[in-house]
Amino acid sequence: MAGRVITVTSGKGGVGKTTFSANVSAALAALGKKTVAVDTDVGLRNLDIVMGLENRIVYDLVDVVEGRCRVQKAVIRDKRIDTLHLLPAAQTRDKTAVTPESMEKICAELREMFDFTIIDSPAGIERGFQNAVVGADEIVVITTPHVSAIRDADRVIGLVEAAEKQQISLVVNRLQPDMVRRGDMLDIPDMLEILSIPPLGIIPEDESIVTSSNKGELATRMPRSVAGQAYKNIARRILGEDVPFMSLESSESLLQWLKRMLKI
Amino acid sequence: MVTGQDTGRKGLVVGIWSKLLGQLQSSPKIQYTEVSASAAKERLKVALTYDRNGLEQGTVDSLREELVRLMAEHLDVHTEDVEVNIDQSTGPNRLVASIALRPLRRPRPTAAAATEAR
Repeated sequence: MAGRVITVTSGKGGVGKTTFSANVSAALAALGKKTVAVDTDVGLRNLDIVMGLENRIVYDLVDVVEGRCRVQKAVIRDKRIDTLHLLPAAQTRDKTAVTPESMEKICAELREMFDFTIIDSPAGIERGFQNAVVGADEIVVITTPHVSAIRDADRVIGLVEAAEKQQISLVVNRLQPDMVRRGDMLDIPDMLEILSIPPLGIIPEDESIVTSSNKGELATRMPRSVAGQAYKNIARRILGEDVPFMSLESSESLLQWLKRMLKI
Repeated sequence: MVTGQDTGRKGLVVGIWSKLLGQLQSSPKIQYTEVSASAAKERLKVALTYDRNGLEQGTVDSLREELVRLMAEHLDVHTEDVEVNIDQSTGPNRLVASIALRPLRRPRPTAAAATEAR
């Protein structure tokens, strides 16, 4: 098997890398693809708690790097979607416990075991970021419509373009369509023009991201979650399907609302 | 005596009322305030141009000041006559300094001088 290794990165913290990694991994797994989500944020791990798998960790990435166990043994299988897996980060170590060379080796192993390896990168552009991108085939840069996140995304794009020949795509997270309409939030065409990389998806601001992560559930498994739908669309685009971008004029049309109310 | 439920309901009424008032007050304002997205776009474009070329905007400003000081020894230039920009239109990016020349103001001949010349 020769799977695809996709790294999710942003430069800036708090823009939604972990939520994206968890939900897109879940959506790919739900489409029947054997998928592993890898947390490379050694020392500040969170992918486990967002996915609701925090109580099942025995071994972690650093145990694999330092030879205490094989990668197969450290990978946790999700009980809700049996094609979904997690390789957690270590919590009591730091980024220097993993080297780019060891990550490249682990990525090569995971590529043989899984259809998709989704790597959640830490914030920043130092060692943790280098570890996360070195073994990837594709890079997803995630940003929000805020000047700080866009500037950091540009920096990350520059670093990836300078170092590797990986394919890069853009995800815009936490878009607020009403603010865009008022002219108080950067719109998608503006961001594409500024960053000049192709779009992979747009995720609207959605409370269900908070409520689902509160419970260790995944938004993609909540039927009414608009963000969950956006993640599912992204998963299908990753598989090569031509899925149109969500209309963000309103998150739910009157007809959809009526249908939902009448349960038809 | 006021029960907990009463205060709760009162709070709700006040909430809705202030929300309505807020709507009435804020809706016309939106039309008058400058939209901020375009400001974000313009600022980002400039900041990213400098970032991508490893330059600071402050550095370019002080460079401009020094250029003016140097040129002033030979030319009649002022700070506002000099523009320093990053030109991305052709091949490798260039830092371009453009100096507006001041037209020479020739002294008008006085009436006396004019008659003398005749």
